[in-house]
Amino acid sequence: MAPAMRPGDAAFAAVEHVNAELFTLTYGAIVRQLLTDFEEVEQVNKQLDAMGYNIGIRLIDDFLAKSNVTRCSEFRETADVIAKVGFKMLLGVTATVSNWNNDSTECSLILEENPLVDFVELPETCQGLHYCNILCGVIRGALEMVSMRTEVKWVRDMLRGDDAYEMRLKMLDQIPEAYPYKDDE
Amino acid sequence: MFAIIDNLLPGGAAGASSGGGGGGSIMIVCVAIVGQQNNPLYLQSFTGADEALKFHYIVHCSLDVFDEKVSNPKKAGANLNDTFLGLLYPTEDYKVFGYLTNTKIKFILVTSDQDLREIDLRNFFSQFHGAYVDAASNPFHVPGKRIISPAFADRVSTIVKSFGSTPQP
Repeated sequence: MAPAMRPGDAAFAAVEHVNAELFTLTYGAIVRQLLTDFEEVEQVNKQLDAMGYNIGIRLIDDFLAKSNVTRCSEFRETADVIAKVGFKMLLGVTATVSNWNNDSTECSLILEENPLVDFVELPETCQGLHYCNILCGVIRGALEMVSMRTEVKWVRDMLRGDDAYEMRLKMLDQIPEAYPYKDDE
Repeated sequence: MFAIIDNLLPGGAAGASSGGGGGGSIMIVCVAIVGQQNNPLYLQSFTGADEALKFHYIVHCSLDVFDEKVSNPKKAGANLNDTFLGLLYPTEDYKVFGYLTNTKIKFILVTSDQDLREIDLRNFFSQFHGAYVDAASNPFHVPGKRIISPAFADRVSTIVKSFGSTPQP
């Protein structure tokens, strides 16, 4: 684990830091506003995922530039980089990767602590809400920009009473490089 | 030693039976939070009996004392910005202490009638203030409405249980 940990810490030290409480309160305000605007919990979940997707497609370039990771040869490496370097650099926490399936196309990312949910308690009216759904969108968007189509879902959520945060990351397929210009023009 | 052990017992039985003045069991009877417009935000009693109405009444009476203390600062200039207001008024069996935050949120502590160290009280209030700030930072909490978070209630119970058990020098 040591070689993978050090790039994460180095990347974390290299980026500018923001006050954690400001970040948490801002995210909380976003979720509250979405709930007021859309009123339906499922809609809010979709919106958070869409917002995350938009962040992810832009974030991937910044991440690759600042973290100096080499090209990943297989999905296992990708998951490790996301968990050790990505989460560390952007949220300051490390995730663990586990529960690989037989083809190495699905795994779980487990977070013990999550700065987005400090101080948060879900009221009874919002029990179906995936509060951190934005993270799923970010990962999905970022991986799509490096030619991998994935599906990311929450499996365990501490706000709903589980003991950790667990995301299920599934790779659907590789997107072939598409050139914008037709060959015969 | 006795005071510390008594604190660990659940609020009801020990407090009711030892009554006032007995062998040094420090009993917090009730804590309350009142908002800027004197609207109640939280009230929790720690005696076994269902005396919520009596405590609402005591807390309501103490609100006037808050305004009085704020508008007539004592001679020492340091008291102007002090959050801890000290003993507000003694009733038949209880002492009522107040703490005013900069945002005009009032914390009220009702205890049984013994001598309590000021350092314990200040300590209690600052922990209580911390718990309140965390509960208020919940994006689903509406400022001005009652605090319904069960995590906050747990924290308050823990703070109350550890009241008075600061290590003696």
